[in-house]
Amino acid sequence: MGETTPQESIRFVVGEERDIAEILSAAEIAPLLGSLVRAGAAGAALVRDSGEVLWQSGSEAGTHAVTVRLPLQVEGEPVGGIEVHGPEERREVLTAMACLFRDTVQTILNTNLKRMMTTEIHTTVVNQSYDELLEANRQLAASEGRYKTLAENLEKIVTTRTKELQQAYVRLVQQEKMAAVGQLAAGMAHEINNPLGFVTSNLSTLAKYVQRFRDMLSFCRSSLAAPGLEGVREGVRREWGRLKIDPILADVDELFAQSLGGCQRVSKIVADLKAFSHIDEGESGVVNLNEEIDRTLNVLAPQLPEDCVVRKNYGNLPGLRCNPAQLSQVMLNIIMNALQARPQGLHLIIETGVRGDSVAACFTDNGPGIPPAVQSRIFDPFFTTREVGAGLGLGLATAYDTITSWGGAIEVASEPGKGASFTLTLPIVRT
Amino acid sequence: MIEFDDQEKRMVLKLVYYGPALSGKTTNLLKLHDLLDMRDRGDLMVLDTKDDRTIYFDLLPFYLKAPSGLKIKLKVYTVPGQVKHDATRKAVLQRADGVAFIADSRPDQAATNFESFSNLENNLACVGLNIEHIPLVVQFNKRDLPEILSEEDIRRTWEPTGVPVFMASALEGGGVRETFGKLLELVYQAVDKKVGLLDKHGLSLEAFITKLTAPRESAAS
Repeated sequence: MGETTPQESIRFVVGEERDIAEILSAAEIAPLLGSLVRAGAAGAALVRDSGEVLWQSGSEAGTHAVTVRLPLQVEGEPVGGIEVHGPEERREVLTAMACLFRDTVQTILNTNLKRMMTTEIHTTVVNQSYDELLEANRQLAASEGRYKTLAENLEKIVTTRTKELQQAYVRLVQQEKMAAVGQLAAGMAHEINNPLGFVTSNLSTLAKYVQRFRDMLSFCRSSLAAPGLEGVREGVRREWGRLKIDPILADVDELFAQSLGGCQRVSKIVADLKAFSHIDEGESGVVNLNEEIDRTLNVLAPQLPEDCVVRKNYGNLPGLRCNPAQLSQVMLNIIMNALQARPQGLHLIIETGVRGDSVAACFTDNGPGIPPAVQSRIFDPFFTTREVGAGLGLGLATAYDTITSWGGAIEVASEPGKGASFTLTLPIVRT
Repeated sequence: MIEFDDQEKRMVLKLVYYGPALSGKTTNLLKLHDLLDMRDRGDLMVLDTKDDRTIYFDLLPFYLKAPSGLKIKLKVYTVPGQVKHDATRKAVLQRADGVAFIADSRPDQAATNFESFSNLENNLACVGLNIEHIPLVVQFNKRDLPEILSEEDIRRTWEPTGVPVFMASALEGGGVRETFGKLLELVYQAVDKKVGLLDKHGLSLEAFITKLTAPRESAAS
């Protein structure tokens, strides 16, 4: 059911009863009554069923011999009639006049009824249609009001959502960094275990050797306590050989050197790792770009395959003012991209130098290159050419943000099939 | 019921012939006017039409007096069938005491019939009447045409509803009086419950129907 409420405000019901006096008017009837009298009737009248005279002309009924009465109907119901009276000798004429008069009045009555019914229903329908239009209009206005409110709030809503999106972006970047650090940590752990392994092994060997020395010293002491030195010298010589002291003495220095070297390696690895994990502490300092590149390469060393060649062409660089850990992160992203572009047979050339009032570092690889359509998008957040799950596409976007926030620039030059070249420029700080 | 005036001793009832456009509602009334004795009855009022299509409504009034002196007026209306005249249909349906639904028997009119019947249900609800309770008969008109739904199919569809169904050809006259008579019977029963037509006013069902459906004595024109 479509509509909700029944029609409460209908004043007119189709079929409403009408009184004969509503349907006929004096203006219509009086002239006819007058004509009848002029035509020879003594008197004529239109009366209700009850006898009440509605209109009349000439003299009244009671005073004459002949009264012709004929009924009038409204919608089939007898409600009144017409009367024509006069002298007896005029009976025929009076009857004829009465018939004509009645038929005329009945026709007027029916015609008027039709007209009234048409007008009333027309008005009702027009009013109802108008009411419906008003209601539809009201609902449209309300709807429009809601849209206006939405449009006004839209700006606010957009601002809020943008902020939320930015916060989400920051969180994602952080997650990506954490993931990168996690990967490195895994590589680091392997590298730390490597030297730790042989240092431990060397130390256990040394422990065994020290036991031999102890045994030898113990023998010498007990031998010196006995009489007859020739026998002692012979015994010492024999025991020295049996315990293989000479080769051990030769080996011991080597073992110590190796072990100490291994420990230093571990120290360096841990130091580099510490530098990386303090990446957000925002320690700006005067930074030597060449050193930072080397540090980054050290950290990456375990991930570079056997057939990877890195050629360094360092210029003489002044100091830069920036966060060294963040700078390392930028270069890490660039080098990692090169590695993923060409996992086997990567040839990476790193050149640094001064260009005008900036320091420039250029990383060139022999990978497949970057198509022009992609080049314009590689610094966009979340843009990646890798498969789903293999990278968020935030590495270069973060690099771009970081470098530009220091007043520098990062550019790419590439031709498909001819590798890619990423150039960082950073303004020199004159101290 | 349009009116019930105890003091004046008058009751005015309304019947409505409903249905899709050109199904034969006006033709039904014209035929009733021809078939029935309309002396001392009302004239058939066909209000303005456009190309013979009802714009407002048609009215065939009847008048009778119960033994008690109660004056009974029965007004039979048709509604315009075209979709755009829905406001008029609503106005005519107000206070109706009974409905005759005139459907077109042609198979391609099945959807139109259905829509019109659905429209009847909605509009009755709009004016505070319930299609389940109001006296209702259905007429499948135009049985004189060659390509029509079979009577068997029609009855099979309508039997479960309990609504009386009549086959008719309003043009030729068959089924028109029967439809009207059955509707009068259902309306009598409903009104009798409300005002005691038999007990209070001494008007029996037979008398009611006979007075209203008395045939014209001369040959039908």
